Amino acid sequence: MSALEDLKFYFFHFMPYVYLPPDYADHEKYPSMWVDFSNRLYDPVKGNELYRRYIGEMVMADKLGYDGVVVNEHHNTPYSMMASCTLIAAAIVPQTERAKICCWGVPINLEFPNRLAEEYAILDVMSGGRLEVAVPLGTGMEYWANPINPATARERMREAIEVMIQAWTADGPTTYTGKYFNYRYLNPWPRPLQKPHPKVYMVGVGSPETIDMAAEMGFGYSIVFIPVKAQLEVFRTFREKSAQHGHHLTSDDTPIGVFAYVAESDEQAEREFKPHLTYFFEDLIRTTPRYLAPPGYISTEQFKARAASGHDALHGHFDWDESVKHLRIVAGTPEHVANKIGQWAEEAQSSKIICHLHMGDMPRWKTVKNLTLFAEEVIPRLRGKQPVVTQHMAAANGQTLPAGAK
Amino acid sequence: MAGKAGNTDANSVFKHETLTVNGIKTVVMTAGQGDPLVFFHGGGVFSGFDFALPWTERYKVYIPFHPGFGDSGDDPEIADMHDYVLHYLELFDQLKLERGLRLVGFSMGGWMAAEFAMEHRRRLHKLVLVAPAGLRVKEYPGTDLFRIPPEQVPAYLVHDLKVIERYLPKEPDADFLTARYREMTTIARFAWEHPYSQRLARWLHRINVPTLMVWGEQDRLVPHQQSASWAKLIAGAQVQTFKNAGHLVLDEKPEAVKAVADFLA
Repeated sequence: MSALEDLKFYFFHFMPYVYLPPDYADHEKYPSMWVDFSNRLYDPVKGNELYRRYIGEMVMADKLGYDGVVVNEHHNTPYSMMASCTLIAAAIVPQTERAKICCWGVPINLEFPNRLAEEYAILDVMSGGRLEVAVPLGTGMEYWANPINPATARERMREAIEVMIQAWTADGPTTYTGKYFNYRYLNPWPRPLQKPHPKVYMVGVGSPETIDMAAEMGFGYSIVFIPVKAQLEVFRTFREKSAQHGHHLTSDDTPIGVFAYVAESDEQAEREFKPHLTYFFEDLIRTTPRYLAPPGYISTEQFKARAASGHDALHGHFDWDESVKHLRIVAGTPEHVANKIGQWAEEAQSSKIICHLHMGDMPRWKTVKNLTLFAEEVIPRLRGKQPVVTQHMAAANGQTLPAGAK
Repeated sequence: MAGKAGNTDANSVFKHETLTVNGIKTVVMTAGQGDPLVFFHGGGVFSGFDFALPWTERYKVYIPFHPGFGDSGDDPEIADMHDYVLHYLELFDQLKLERGLRLVGFSMGGWMAAEFAMEHRRRLHKLVLVAPAGLRVKEYPGTDLFRIPPEQVPAYLVHDLKVIERYLPKEPDADFLTARYREMTTIARFAWEHPYSQRLARWLHRINVPTLMVWGEQDRLVPHQQSASWAKLIAGAQVQTFKNAGHLVLDEKPEAVKAVADFLA
């Protein structure tokens, strides 16, 4: 069986707050939309309207046949209205029936790990076993917003993950004796419905520490917003290291993210999509190098490499022609979009497609149009389709892909 | 380490000695003859120790780089100011500095010196705290260094920018920025959650050696008005403030450097 016969499509919503002041694009006045972007600009009445709309779009994705819906969380920013993504997930669970509910996720350092184990177990039980989670370290910005030490964040996260997995898998009460956490009675009720526990991914931007941790612990690896070439390199390293630790990965362990928009023609799709993608990259994720790297969040070697190469090009600058070369961005007819995604899945050997179909300040009509066209015209073109290249590759190697690769 | 206290006169006068303390490479600068004077530097070492040269005419001056600063190695296990106290107990054992120490601490090093003094007062002859950080004074709060963007830091350090201009890069310099990031990482290990210590207010009264507080009146990081709180806690502590001087009062005012030397006699 090909790794890619069984493509899955997950709709990821960032739920941004989009009623920004008229001068929001003034980079000098607002060098960062994170950390210190004043919350006096937040209007809860408009927030209410957006929550109702966005959650409705997530529910629609379930009805349209998407395999999952994805939420995540950030703090001190209009980039995301999901400061607690487990709360948002809890609102979605009872309104959906089939889709996986993916919390991708709570930066575990921002909670007590036993409590996060509990919250996730509640969601898994409530949803009848539809939960998937990802564990991010959290962006540098989260460490300016929360009273957690960035200099010890990775070490602390590692312990926290151990606690969470132990809480899910070992019959309680158990104990845990760590540098950061000491548990006398680790015994949370409830426990997750899925055994041994819900699917877990690490979230990363390709830093070696995160790849190592995911490979060692037998998790998947969910990568965000770095150039495709670098992503493929990370996946290669991750697969090698996972194998060294005796973990046999399946094609859903390395999900890929795509920014996609479907319309009647390629020109129209690009025209309808571009402003919102621009708004996302130039404005919503705009922040400063200082907020990206609080003290100790990265090593001095990594810091030096960043300082020597100048500003991080992703945060606050967007050029369509340049970006389509490096990121998975596609706008076009269903045929065009399906072809592109098929190639990307094949090239990354990934069967799990994270679909960014709402971006930035995209209005509801475009979101509904895109979600619907993608579900009805793109997904059917890709499901169950045996990629030709894979057959050739397997034949050339004189072998079939391992059955475990699904 | 790139971005170390370079381009300074002190580098040619001081001898650099490398020791190992609890597994951590520790570099100690020494110069001069006489009774031992140990200087605990603050959270940034880019401006070097030129100000300390007059001390070498009267004392044997020791300037150790704390773990995580300058030429010394990193110790990621440091989680508390008390770790530095233990580090210095071991270093002083190696240097055979048992008794009669003249201890001078500046800023973060002042906090460090105060903690050392309240735990090991019998080792000290006299104590000088220069614009010490670490005490939480509600009426005159210090500036949280972590809240200041790096490009604004120099203006917070001195009253007259000319005093430190020669130590600052003319253009953005990756090595310089990285050295500062390393220092901030080191400070974050023990001060991110609380850039001050509750312990000081409770135990400073144990310091029973002659103590001098030195402060610049235009200190924008640790306001000189905090000196009253320190003086109330340390019996008999004298306070000397200097006009037209910021946080780096020793770099800005040679008379402050002399006042320290005279007091330690």
